[in-house]
Amino acid sequence: METLNNLFLIIAAAIRSLFADPHSVWANLTMDVINFIIVVVIIVLAALILILLERKIAGWTSQRTGPNRLGPRGWFQTIADALKLMGKEDITPAGADKFIFKVAPMIVFSLPMMTLAVIPYGNGMAPINLDLGIFYFLAISAISTVAFLMAGWGSNNKYSLLGGMRAVAQMISYEIPLLFSLLGVVMITQSFNLGTIVEAQKTIPFIILQPLAFVIYIIAGLAEVNRAPFDLVEADQEVVAGPFTEYTGLRWGLFFLGEYGNMTAVSALAATVFLGGWQGPMFLPGWVWFWLKVGIIIFFMMWVRWTFPRIRVDHLMHLAWKVLLPLSILNIFLTGFGIYIYRFVMGG
Amino acid sequence: MFGKGLLTGLGITFKRMVGPNITEFYPEVKPNLPTRVRSSMGLQPDKCISCNMCAMACPNSVIKLTSEKNENNKKVLKSYHMDVGRCLFCGMCTEACPTKALSVTQEYENAVFEPEDMQWDMIKRAERKGKVG
Repeated sequence: METLNNLFLIIAAAIRSLFADPHSVWANLTMDVINFIIVVVIIVLAALILILLERKIAGWTSQRTGPNRLGPRGWFQTIADALKLMGKEDITPAGADKFIFKVAPMIVFSLPMMTLAVIPYGNGMAPINLDLGIFYFLAISAISTVAFLMAGWGSNNKYSLLGGMRAVAQMISYEIPLLFSLLGVVMITQSFNLGTIVEAQKTIPFIILQPLAFVIYIIAGLAEVNRAPFDLVEADQEVVAGPFTEYTGLRWGLFFLGEYGNMTAVSALAATVFLGGWQGPMFLPGWVWFWLKVGIIIFFMMWVRWTFPRIRVDHLMHLAWKVLLPLSILNIFLTGFGIYIYRFVMGG
Repeated sequence: MFGKGLLTGLGITFKRMVGPNITEFYPEVKPNLPTRVRSSMGLQPDKCISCNMCAMACPNSVIKLTSEKNENNKKVLKSYHMDVGRCLFCGMCTEACPTKALSVTQEYENAVFEPEDMQWDMIKRAERKGKVG
């Protein structure tokens, strides 16, 4: 069990031991490249699996079967879709701001790569063990606002621009409750390091100590990754597909990869901060526990998507500024109060 | 309680998710059609007395039939053509038929590639059906 638990650490040590000095610059560089490839593979695999799972769940909620033709029970459908996307013509609109138009999908795709790099996938298995993990994660994920605005502006299309503007309004509003909901956990653990936060949940996951923060995080996280019921950015019926309207082929595919990568990243952060990350009963390795928890949150996000209708724009702002923000500040206050009482009782 | 409706909605979709699907896998599994489906026509040529009542009852003049007299001076059906491209499957012809030779049936795979294939020779169809069934 212990071997299985540390499987990837053992593999990493074996690769390092191939070098004369296991901690030389070249060994570190090799490990960094391998970590980078692993994160990219995680995103691509996540997108391949999640797109199909999304369609399956969409089917099941409406009493259909979802894709069921290609491969066993339709599980190869996304591979065919991806191949089709690669074969499509790459169109740049005549009036587009070409540089911005081409750079935007790359930025959208690069952000989950950067955020997923600080998540601890198992005991000591964070590709980059950053002391300011949560801070870095939130800072990087905030950049996707700019990318969406770039895509909307660069397309030179009124619907795209509207979608981009909506992205800015929505994501900036929901960034604040998202950030504040994580502050409670940071106050308890006195650390921004995701590894330390997971260590602190050895006995009790923070979802029990911070239920309100978890609910706020999930709602704000849904809005942050532009998923229904907060999918105003790409609302098909209102702004066609928002910033994605003018994109075709692989560029559009990059947006999709980025979107599902972001979803994985937000779920991974929720699993790390609130559900105890890789902590779990020892009959399964830590990294399996981690992905199970991420899977549960992703399933919940999809379940929500296929249950609720899209929220109205003014209600969206109302929810962020008048409901979630006060609640998250209340949560911080209550957490601080709780910490004082705890210290008082423990005689600290 | 605020948000109760959200939970109810989630409960309903979850129930649907784990419950049985209502999809019918048509080409692999033949669907169970309701008994009142009218999708095709069938003729029993030996019952037909060539009275032409069906052709007269038809609102779209779909039916064209010819007959000849046999040695007993009785009318015998010679040809019976239907232009199903125009047929509504309203069933007026079957109601008009005095011997119930003509009937609405429930065959539904009637798609054809050429417009000419919509001209049904009902006698030939009846013979073919007799061979198959």
